[in-house]
Amino acid sequence: MSTNIWVWIAALLTLSVYSFLYKDNPIYRFAEYLFIGTSVGYSIGFLYWNAFIPRIVRPVQAGDYIVLIPTFIGLLFFARFTRKWTWLVRYPIAISLGIGAGISIPLTIQAGIFRQLQATMVGDFTISNIIMVVGVICTLFYFFFSLEQKGVVGGVAKTGIWYIMIAFGAIFGYTVMARIALFVSRVQFLLHDWLGIIK
Amino acid sequence: MKGKIPFVFTLCTLHFALLSSLCAQEITPPTDVKVFDTPNDAGNSITIKWKLSSQDSLLDGYEIHRSQDPVGEFIKIGWSIRGINTYTDEEIMYKGKILHEVKNKTEYYYKICGKFDTEFTSFSEVAGPTISSPQLFNKSKINVLIGVMALLISFLGFIRIAKRGGRLFIRKIAGLEALDEAVGRATEMGRPVLYVPGLSTISDIATIASLNIMGRVAKKTAEYGIPLLVPNRDPIVLTVAKQVVKEAYLAVGRPDVFKDEDVSFISSSQFAYAAGVAGIMAREKPGTNLFIGMFWAESLVLAETGAATGAIQIAGTDAMTQLPFFVTTCDYTIMGEELYAASAYLSKEPILVGSIKAQDLLKAIILTAMIVGTILMMLGSNVIANLFKV
Amino acid sequence: MKRTFPLVICFGGGIIFIIQFFIPHPVSKAIYDEALNWLIIVSVFAFAIALESLFRVHGTKIKRRKPGWGFSVIPLVACITVGAFGIIQGVREGTVFMKVFHYITVPMSATVFSLLAFYMASAAFRAFRATTTRATVLLIVAFLVMFGRVPIGPFVWKGLPDIIEWIFMYPSMAATRGIALGVGLGIIGTSLKIILGIEKGWLGGGGK
Repeated sequence: MSTNIWVWIAALLTLSVYSFLYKDNPIYRFAEYLFIGTSVGYSIGFLYWNAFIPRIVRPVQAGDYIVLIPTFIGLLFFARFTRKWTWLVRYPIAISLGIGAGISIPLTIQAGIFRQLQATMVGDFTISNIIMVVGVICTLFYFFFSLEQKGVVGGVAKTGIWYIMIAFGAIFGYTVMARIALFVSRVQFLLHDWLGIIK
Repeated sequence: MKGKIPFVFTLCTLHFALLSSLCAQEITPPTDVKVFDTPNDAGNSITIKWKLSSQDSLLDGYEIHRSQDPVGEFIKIGWSIRGINTYTDEEIMYKGKILHEVKNKTEYYYKICGKFDTEFTSFSEVAGPTISSPQLFNKSKINVLIGVMALLISFLGFIRIAKRGGRLFIRKIAGLEALDEAVGRATEMGRPVLYVPGLSTISDIATIASLNIMGRVAKKTAEYGIPLLVPNRDPIVLTVAKQVVKEAYLAVGRPDVFKDEDVSFISSSQFAYAAGVAGIMAREKPGTNLFIGMFWAESLVLAETGAATGAIQIAGTDAMTQLPFFVTTCDYTIMGEELYAASAYLSKEPILVGSIKAQDLLKAIILTAMIVGTILMMLGSNVIANLFKV
Repeated sequence: MKRTFPLVICFGGGIIFIIQFFIPHPVSKAIYDEALNWLIIVSVFAFAIALESLFRVHGTKIKRRKPGWGFSVIPLVACITVGAFGIIQGVREGTVFMKVFHYITVPMSATVFSLLAFYMASAAFRAFRATTTRATVLLIVAFLVMFGRVPIGPFVWKGLPDIIEWIFMYPSMAATRGIALGVGLGIIGTSLKIILGIEKGWLGGGGK
């Protein structure tokens, strides 16, 4: 059995979280709130030393005053606490949105569309490749919003749904082992690191 | 077996003898060296190509030498294994220091020799001068640029049609149709509605799509006079969500039902957030749970906890890896592109519907290109496939 | 000023970064890197809003003595304590800050993550009870894949791993690609609507 107080804390909190599987209870609630508090505290420390100091304080100390522009923009968030100037919050949001949207358009065309298209156009005339190409076509048909899913279109879209269900089943089955491995790892921690029952 | 060992030994000896008898100087050197500024880059890079030695298989590889003077001292700057006839001389930086320099606007000369063991062939002719420079446009991405222009034209075209009052149809999306029913059910039960806007940042387009839907849901919950609980992971999403929900309640004339604490921050940590939301579901027991946005592994924790409380659940995400879990645990699932069609579907605003039509037109073009391209590929032509090469 | 300027900023930012993608010049890369730096700096201040929300929610519960108010003391105390330790001691290994991270935050994250092992079983059971043909297909494929990835699967049926590989390479890949293509168009469409100012929900209705 471990004599490290920190291991005991980790073990008891682990069991507290597992108690939620039965139902919500005060022990789980304690663990949940502690988890939230410590994770937010961690974010504070992390942001202070990995964002605030190296990206704002040190550049300003070194004479790079350009960083004061995004600093000022970030400070506009505090306008939220006033009644009259709340609308100023829209400026930093607009910058984040505009940059994010602008970056995503060409990247999505390149990776989300062109690469997928290229990969689908296969040269070998095999049954498997035909099944694959037909599947892509039928799945895309399912996402046509301009056409009522009736008749031929409905039939093709329904075929697309079957393909989607097969894909979902495959993903579901694929992740099961990984999730069980996570649980095994926690049990190992409890039995080995904490109780010392297994070696 | 007895007879094989002497045979193999003899073969190896003969091979070694043959190689040794050939002095590296007698192996033909690489020829036809071409040097040019590496295209479509930020500069500080030169590409060297050459014709392999006719006895390439006897060599270990090639040494690339460089100088700024065609008759001056040449220094070895790189190595290429046999069979490879191209080398990129580019600037190497490590922790802010330049380990190998390739200056822009500077003339460089190159020559190459083959290497076998510790021997070298004679050098190729000196190639150059060539100058490295940055390009203003990446020509290899011209197809992406055409794609962007096609999208823009298509969008603007359909928006124009929509503005003129053209009738534009959108098919039924079950998950979005069920939103009203789901909110109604929570009202009947006298329970709040829980809306989880995903775990991603405001820069993630799925989050924007979620916030659009949240606005409509907030209007509905405001009309029915029930609280809308919105736990957030991202601070900026929190700020926007507060604005959206508050404005919805004010617009409907029910500011009394809105509480600032209903739209709250839980934690930036993925699983602390999941634990917090699970706790909210277990204690507040919302009548309806809406999980709309970007999700990762915590999706099943949220959906299963919600299912255990008996709430009606609608999920919407474009995360392929999480859709299977939502499909198995939720009453309705808004899949993939349906999430992005939501704002047009719910508002029925002509301009937004026009944008969906533009997406459908592009889908039709993609489908056509795919079918034609695949047929051509199977017939041996990759002309269409090359159009989409990235 | 209140609505137009943010829309103009959004439009300008969007266009700049669409164009930036096609320019390999070092100046273009510098602009991109600087923009990402700006986004991180802006998000530091946004975190203050998040902290205010956390303190307001739990502070209100404590102040009004709502049911379970005692528990609300925990996240506030934990947040202040850990945050203070982090700022004062730093985030190096061996500090109390990092000990809290390694022995409280990480184990609890792993435990919540591991709950998925149980939830997957209950989700599968729920899907099985649904008895729709689609749910049945999903479950059959899931079971086949699960069975094929454990040692007993190939032992029972030698061809099972090949069947699973085929499912992943062809029908599953087909649906994944189809959904990815649709999602790609959806992302581009919504991004364009944001840049062009058609999608304005993020502005909120106030301050007209």
